[in-house]
Amino acid sequence: MTPSAPLAAAPLGSWDRSRLVPTRRQLAVTATLAVAGAIGLTPFTLNAFVEVLGEAIFVSMVLLFGFKVAGAWRQTLLPRWVAQLLAVALGAALSPLIVQMLSVGGDFSAFLASRSMVHGYVLVTLSAALIGTLFALGALYRERDAQARTDALRFALERETLQRQAADAQLRLLTAQIEPHFLLNTLANVQQLVESGSPRAAPVFRSLIDYLRAAMPQLHEKTATLGDEERLVRAYLELMLMRMPDRLAFTIAIEPALRALPFPPMALLTLVENAIRHGIDPGCDGGRIEVGARRGSGNEVELWVTDTGVGLTEGAGTGSGLRNLQERLQAFFPSGASVVLSAQTPHGVRADVRVTPAIDA
Amino acid sequence: MSPPTALIADDEPLLREQLAAQLARLWPALQIVGQARNGREAVEMFEELRPQVAFLDVHMPGMNGVEAARRIGRRAEVVFVTAFDQYAVEAFRQGAIDYLVKPIEADRLLDSVQRLQARLRAADESRRPDFDALLDRLAQEMRQRSGAPKYLQWIKASVGNAVRMIRIEQVLYLRSDAKYTVVAWEGGEALIRTPLRELAEALDPECFVQVHRSAIVNLMHVDRFSHGPGDSGEVHLKGRSERLAVSRSCVHLFRQM
Repeated sequence: MTPSAPLAAAPLGSWDRSRLVPTRRQLAVTATLAVAGAIGLTPFTLNAFVEVLGEAIFVSMVLLFGFKVAGAWRQTLLPRWVAQLLAVALGAALSPLIVQMLSVGGDFSAFLASRSMVHGYVLVTLSAALIGTLFALGALYRERDAQARTDALRFALERETLQRQAADAQLRLLTAQIEPHFLLNTLANVQQLVESGSPRAAPVFRSLIDYLRAAMPQLHEKTATLGDEERLVRAYLELMLMRMPDRLAFTIAIEPALRALPFPPMALLTLVENAIRHGIDPGCDGGRIEVGARRGSGNEVELWVTDTGVGLTEGAGTGSGLRNLQERLQAFFPSGASVVLSAQTPHGVRADVRVTPAIDA
Repeated sequence: MSPPTALIADDEPLLREQLAAQLARLWPALQIVGQARNGREAVEMFEELRPQVAFLDVHMPGMNGVEAARRIGRRAEVVFVTAFDQYAVEAFRQGAIDYLVKPIEADRLLDSVQRLQARLRAADESRRPDFDALLDRLAQEMRQRSGAPKYLQWIKASVGNAVRMIRIEQVLYLRSDAKYTVVAWEGGEALIRTPLRELAEALDPECFVQVHRSAIVNLMHVDRFSHGPGDSGEVHLKGRSERLAVSRSCVHLFRQM
C-alpha cells in the first residue's frame, strides 16, 4: 500500500472519538467505587468523610479520564491495553498529589513536612491504583468479550449467507429453463437438415438430445461429473457449429483422468455460453473457443474457456451470471473455487476456473 | 417483364437455405440473387444487385436487420425474419410491418408472398408514411437493449502479464496515485491508466461515491464512517484494515439518516 493521499495510516496523534466518551455504565461504576473507597478510607484518615469523598471522586474521575484518553489515542508505540493501564497508574500517582498540593497552596516542602499528608497521599494512591487497575482490567475484559461476541455473530451471519447463496444457486439451477430463443433457432436449423435430406441430421439430433437431457432441471446435482459436463459442452458447441459453421471453431481438451471428478452441472457451459453470446455471435468473423481442464499443483484442478471473439466491452452485463457461477462453485467446492476473467490479445476473453476438490478418503 | 428478384440475409447458413428452398416452392418465379451473412453484406449486396425484395434477419452480427432496412429504405420491399423475440415481433405487428417468425411456417410465408406479389404488381409506394419513423424508433430501442447497462460493469486492469477483468461489484475503492489509478478489489490491487475523473462519470453513482479529491469508494464495501480531526472523517471497509479519508466537503454523504 503506497502511503499517498487519502489512506489514513494510523499516525501518532489521531483520535478514535468513539472510544473517548465514557459509557453511562462506566460513569456509574466509577462513581460507586469512589463512594465505596471514601467510606472505606475515612476511618484511616484525620479528614472528614465529605473531604475524603471529594478527593475520591476527583481521583476516580481522573483515572477514568486517563483510561478513556489512552484508549482513544491511536498510537503504535504500545498495545492499547498497556497504555490504558499505564494511564490509570499515572493518574493514581498524580491526582491525589494534586489534591494535597491544592490543600497546602502549592507548597511542596510543606506537603513533605506533614507526616499525615504524606500518609494520606500514599493511602489514597495505593487504593486508587488498586481499584483503578481492577476496574480497568474489568473494562478491558468486557470489551474483549463483546468483541468476541461480535466476531461470533459476524461469523454466523457469513456462514448463513453462504448457505443461503448455495440454496439460491441450487434453486436457480432447478428453475433454469432452456432459452426458447436458442431452442427455436436450433430447431429451425435441424428442420432444414431434415428437409434437405442431409446426412448431418442424425448426429445433430444426437447433440440436441444430449444437450436437452443435460440441460433439463436436475435433482441429482451431487452425482454429476466433469465427464457429464464435457458431454453437455460438446453437444452445445456442436449445435452452435451447425448454426454458424463459417464463424465458429472449437476444441475441447479435458484430461481423461478428470472425467470422474464430481462437478456442478452447467458450470462450464455457462462460461461457454458467455463466450458464444459475447465473443463469437456479435462479431462478423466469429472466432475460436477452447475448453480445457487439467490437474494443477497439489489437489487443484484448473479449467478454462477461452475465445478469440470480440471481447467483453466494459458495459457488457454478464456480472450476475458470473456471480451465480462463483457461488455455485464455492458451494460445490468448499475447499476452494475461483473464477477469473481476463482479456486476450488481440481480442477475446479467457475465463480461468480453479477448484480444489475434497480429498477422497 | 423481368422476373422478381430477392435478397436473403441471415447469419445462419442453414436458415438462408431453408428460406430459399421454401420460396422456391411457393414462388417459383422469384430469383434469389444474393445471400448475405450479416447486415453490412446485405446493404452492399443490395446496392450492387438492387433486388426488389429483401428478407432480413433481425439479429445479425455487425449490423442488425433493422439498421440494414433503414439503409435500404423504400428502395425495396422489406420482410423481417426474426426468432421468437417478443419486443421486435410486437413492434412489427403494431406497425403493420411484414415479418416472419423462425422456424418459418409455410402458411405464414404464403401470406407474405401474396402480399409482396400484390405490392410489386401495384408498384406504388403504398407503404404507410410512418414506416421510416417506426424503423428509427425500433432501431433506437434495439441499440438501447444491446447497449445494456448504463454504467461500467468491468474494469480491465493489468495484473502481471494478464489483463484481468474485474467485476465492478468486487471493486472496493479507486484511488488516484500520481499518473495512475489504483483499483483495490477483493482479489488485490492493480493500476490502470484511466483517470479517476473519467471513472467517476462512468460508474453507477448509487454505489460509487467520491469521498475525496483522489478517492472513490464502493458503498457496498463500506463498513462504517467515523469522524476524524477537524471536520473530515474516514470510512472503514468491510473486512479490511485500510481506511479512506473523507474530505470535509464529502462528510455530508455519511450523515445519519
